[in-house]
Amino acid sequence: MNEDKINLSKDLMPNGIGVISAEGYINNEGGQAIADAATELMDSGCSTLLIDLEGTRIINSIGVSILLEIMEKLLEEKGRLAFCNLTPTISKTFEIMGLVQYATMYPDRETATSELTGHATG
Amino acid sequence: MEVVLHLPVVPNVELVAAKAVETLGDALGMHQTHVEAASVAIVEACLNAMEHGGGRVVVRLTGDEDSGRPCLVIEVEDNGAGFDPATVPANAASRVLGCASKRGWGLTLIRELMDDVQIRSRPGQTLVWMCKYGESGP
Repeated sequence: MNEDKINLSKDLMPNGIGVISAEGYINNEGGQAIADAATELMDSGCSTLLIDLEGTRIINSIGVSILLEIMEKLLEEKGRLAFCNLTPTISKTFEIMGLVQYATMYPDRETATSELTGHATG
Repeated sequence: MEVVLHLPVVPNVELVAAKAVETLGDALGMHQTHVEAASVAIVEACLNAMEHGGGRVVVRLTGDEDSGRPCLVIEVEDNGAGFDPATVPANAASRVLGCASKRGWGLTLIRELMDDVQIRSRPGQTLVWMCKYGESGP
């Protein structure tokens, strides 16, 4: 549960959705690693970003604050941010911190990519 | 059941406290969701104590039962300058969006994720006491 290093991967899918998978502790370093990956995808022209947190069970508010910055940046560019595979506690934390108001939460990656595809290609 | 930790201020040491919560919560038979909520709360309390306390942080965990319900009591103590908890407003997205700093969520998260929270603070000592009840896991 308490992996102190985050394990990240990112991919730009053919449908234009940028996917970041993150496993581990989302603290300042983990949040910044996600932000760096998001910036690279956005610089590649991606405006729909899905962050898959399967394997992430512990977060802190500093890390989530960095996710808020990513969300703001995407909203400024008329983009869209989504998350999937959140634990109930991470989902509640996102709700408290306002991410739920501006980003979309999906139960799993399959549902997310299916529902986001129309937006990304439309 | 009781666990006492004396945490030095080193990176990610808050995860030691979170691991202790996980171990004690599991031993109490608490549902994983309740244990994870307590883990995030203790991480936030430790980060606050390390940031504002200026020295070693003491964490005490006690596993108990209250009216048949498992109960995890967490205390996080530091020796910082202290503050008036009544002057710390609940944070909200509307306060931070558009602002350069998006910090200041620790106490808000602790109060939302735990079932009972009490803060006693004076110059030289701040104690955050919090409790999470949990039903037995599935």
